Amino acid sequence: MESSDEQLCRDVAERKPGAFDLLVGRYQERAYRIAWSIVRDREEAKDCSQDAFLRLHEAAGSFAGQSKFSTWFYRILVNCCLDQQRRRRGWRRLVGWRDRRADGEDEPDPVEQAPAPLTDPLEHVDAERRMSRVWELVEELSPQQRAAVTLQCREGLATKEIAVVLKLSEATVRVHLHRALSTLRKRLGDEG
Amino acid sequence: MSGVHVDELLSDHVRGELTDAERTQVEAHLVECAACRSAREGIAHLMSELARTAPVPPPIHWGAYRAELRERIERRGSQPGALWSWLVRPAPALVAAGLVAALVYVGLPGTAPGPGAPDPLALDSTILASRLDLLARLDVVQHLDLLEDFNVIGELDELPEPSKS
Repeated sequence: MESSDEQLCRDVAERKPGAFDLLVGRYQERAYRIAWSIVRDREEAKDCSQDAFLRLHEAAGSFAGQSKFSTWFYRILVNCCLDQQRRRRGWRRLVGWRDRRADGEDEPDPVEQAPAPLTDPLEHVDAERRMSRVWELVEELSPQQRAAVTLQCREGLATKEIAVVLKLSEATVRVHLHRALSTLRKRLGDEG
Repeated sequence: MSGVHVDELLSDHVRGELTDAERTQVEAHLVECAACRSAREGIAHLMSELARTAPVPPPIHWGAYRAELRERIERRGSQPGALWSWLVRPAPALVAAGLVAALVYVGLPGTAPGPGAPDPLALDSTILASRLDLLARLDVVQHLDLLEDFNVIGELDELPEPSKS
């Protein structure tokens, strides 16, 4: 019989051979996809998802089994991604991006507003073709709203699970989702 | 649920995630409120659109991905001080703080020299000058492990010159 994710995680903590590889095999695509949904860069998404697996490898023993393994792991993953976003935002500040803007401090943060650059132009064209208008607008949401929308509408997580993943209360997640969906509807309506 | 406006519950209503009490309240409201009925329809359509058109991330080679991950794990495993490496990053800052503390100590009233003692400014300069070699060797200090630091810092003169490569 196939081991559950939770059992595999306990096996990883005990360093049982093969357990970690099995978990990676089960989650690698989801991890990369979720990371990419948040950071929007192939290399960064790869790094963030690998960082999450590294943390899983080191901290499997701290999985208490109070939530599903997937929820616990997504929390690690989303933290890695949001940390990455903060670091990138920090670097942009450090190099004085804001100082070069002539139109004041209220200018929205470019990291939160703009899609992350894709290094390969052909890949960029492909990504544009793949992405519908509504997901282009999702790009303009804050990282937390984008994460909430992605986890709910794409990965199918319940609001309760998203709250655990994002370390927020359920009420706050509902507010995030409500604002995100309202913003999207308004912008789509304005365009339509 | 008091204090929560019904519109914040509409996406959970679409997904069937509300408790019985919440669902009853939302549905009672929807009967009366055309704006919220319309909003619920819009949200249901939008969520369906989001699920249907989710962008596909650029493909990656999974074999290479797993190999890289294994390599990163082995690299971490082969570093005995992997955990310490996070803690020793402030080492250069600690060294600098130590220098400042030494200079401040010299300037404290209780440590002020009596008559006939050497000029304090000259003493400061002497202490600072004696530590300049340490700053000049920041590249060495930065790469020391924490426990090693305290043993080696006192014997910096005996360390080999860092490689130029």
